[in-house]
Amino acid sequence: MGATIEIRFHGRGGQGAVVASELLAQAAFLDGKRPQSFPFFGVERRGAPVTAYTRIDDHPLGIRTSITTPDIVVVLEPSLLRTQPVTDGLKEDGLLLVNTRNPAQELMIPVPARRAVVDANQIAVAHGLGSLTMPIVNTAVLGALVAASGVVSMTALDQAIEEFVPARQAENRAAAEDGYHAVRMVEANMPFTPPVPRAVGPTPQLPEGPMATLSSELIHTAAWRTLRPVVHLEHCTRCNFCWKFCPDDAFQFDEKGYPVVRYEYCKGCGICVVECPPRVIEMVEEV
Amino acid sequence: MVKLTIPAPELMYSGHSACPGCAPALAMRLMLKGLGPRTIVSVPACCWTVVATPYPTTALGVAMLDNPIESTGASISGLRAAADALGLTDVHILGFAGDGGTADIGLQALSGMLERRTNAIYAMYDNEAYMNTGVQRSGATPLGAWTTTTPVGDGARGKAEPKKDVMGIVLAHRPVYAATVNPSFPEDFVRKVEKAAALRGPRFFHIFTPCPPGWRYPSDQTIEIGRKATDCGIFPLYEVEEGRYHVTRKGGSLRPVTEYFQAQGRFSHLVPEDLARVQAQVNADWQRLLRLESGT
Ligand SMILES: Cc1ncc(C[n+]2csc(CCOP(=O)(O)OP(=O)(O)O)c2C)c(N)n1
Ligand code: SF4
Ligand code: SF4
Ligand SMILES: [Mg+2]
Repeated sequence: MGATIEIRFHGRGGQGAVVASELLAQAAFLDGKRPQSFPFFGVERRGAPVTAYTRIDDHPLGIRTSITTPDIVVVLEPSLLRTQPVTDGLKEDGLLLVNTRNPAQELMIPVPARRAVVDANQIAVAHGLGSLTMPIVNTAVLGALVAASGVVSMTALDQAIEEFVPARQAENRAAAEDGYHAVRMVEANMPFTPPVPRAVGPTPQLPEGPMATLSSELIHTAAWRTLRPVVHLEHCTRCNFCWKFCPDDAFQFDEKGYPVVRYEYCKGCGICVVECPPRVIEMVEEV
Repeated sequence: MVKLTIPAPELMYSGHSACPGCAPALAMRLMLKGLGPRTIVSVPACCWTVVATPYPTTALGVAMLDNPIESTGASISGLRAAADALGLTDVHILGFAGDGGTADIGLQALSGMLERRTNAIYAMYDNEAYMNTGVQRSGATPLGAWTTTTPVGDGARGKAEPKKDVMGIVLAHRPVYAATVNPSFPEDFVRKVEKAAALRGPRFFHIFTPCPPGWRYPSDQTIEIGRKATDCGIFPLYEVEEGRYHVTRKGGSLRPVTEYFQAQGRFSHLVPEDLARVQAQVNADWQRLLRLESGT
């Protein structure tokens, strides 16, 4: 290959994006390469967007900067495709790998790169990695990355997981293996329109007025959940405990006073299910 | 048609970026329900700065000032002076800070604000560690709790020191009002905020806020864990008005503390002897609180 291969991971805190970038580097090292791996400095909160970088070369790397023109972009959480500039700088002959169960919808992004998809949530849940609400998808996604790109060997990835994953090595190795076989190449379903180049000019002045004036309700957090609450209204007593205890204010009432879940915002925490006194809310698998 | 027990208007919007099941999110929601729209919030570095500001949006229906972690107290003194100078005397000034930013890093600024008798409300949402940066212990982390800087294993058994008594520190400044609140008891929470809103001078809230990733429990248990904290006597609900104590939830005898501890992964290494020691301390603290209330 010769040139440095640059890989950028995008995930949410809790999915294991940083560990994925480290494991990939460890695997590359086992393959005899000279890799590096580091995260973008930011918050570590569960659900927060996280970026991590891996570089792989045959020779020791002098460069220490973040990756702006990646050969490969790996997206662990599909909602990031809409809310974060994850494909920025992705090379035209590059590869975009997305963990999604809904490729048709998720891949309507105007980049020319090849695309691969894998349903790593399902694989992680099947191997008991993380929880239903927050599956740890990193090893399944790495298996898929190996199949789609060949940047490291599967033997090296397997060994890296065995040596460097602190717990549940067997399950993680099996998840990587499943990811390897489950990955699919897909066609772009939107014509590529080159992006308008960003205007480069002087740093904008900070405004004298408020920095942010739009409501966060513009941001939909539905993709954070893997289970959704369903209210069985026949037995609902209209006590509104669900509304009262929802940290995401995801309930409203219909004209008769029955609760209606605003699914755009529900993160699937399950609090309403536990707090509903007659227990008429149930968590069901997202489809 | 719907009979609500807390005010309907929402000044915390959906679409914020708190983790699923985050009690600090509920704490802000209830706090603003009690204070209403004529409020300016000052938030230091903590989870809530990130939660509120998925740029270019804001999750708050009131003005928010983002300030350095150590300066919440100073910032609300300044905001109060500025608001008064502009004639905005009816506006509530709220400092909303984490336990790390209050009990540790911002303690001097809090003390200064209380001592200057600033006419403002300071609320500490206590998730018992530095969560925004990935669960490091704070002065408010309880004895025995696992955090990334108080590990378990190789002879280490979680935090070796007990929790700092922030209410005690605040009360030594004789604020006009100070109270403990817990989102598991929303009516009590909002009633106290509304009461504080009608007073003038320095006011303080200690808010109990479980954090699913930091405390290692499933996100649907947030309200239940908060309820257990109060009903086991770990986090009693009370208010102190001009020095007079009033315990706002008593409900017979305390539940055993094991119910609270067993529900959380951060305490899973504790053994019955540890819990017996905690139980003895909780009993003594509870009796002390009752004595303070009865004035004996
Ligand atoms: C002086 C300073 N030190 C460290 C930090 C990094 N920092 C940002 S948020 C945070 C955690 C604050 O913890 P806490 O106040 O308990 O709020 P929480 O994150 O738990 O909500 C830290 C340490 C900072 N912003 N400023
Ligand atoms: S699952 Fe959680 S976020 Fe969703 S509606 Fe219920 S309480 Fe709200
Ligand atoms: S880390 Fe804890 S306090 Fe911070 S947003 Fe997540 S649940 Fe809330
Ligand atoms: Mg904290």
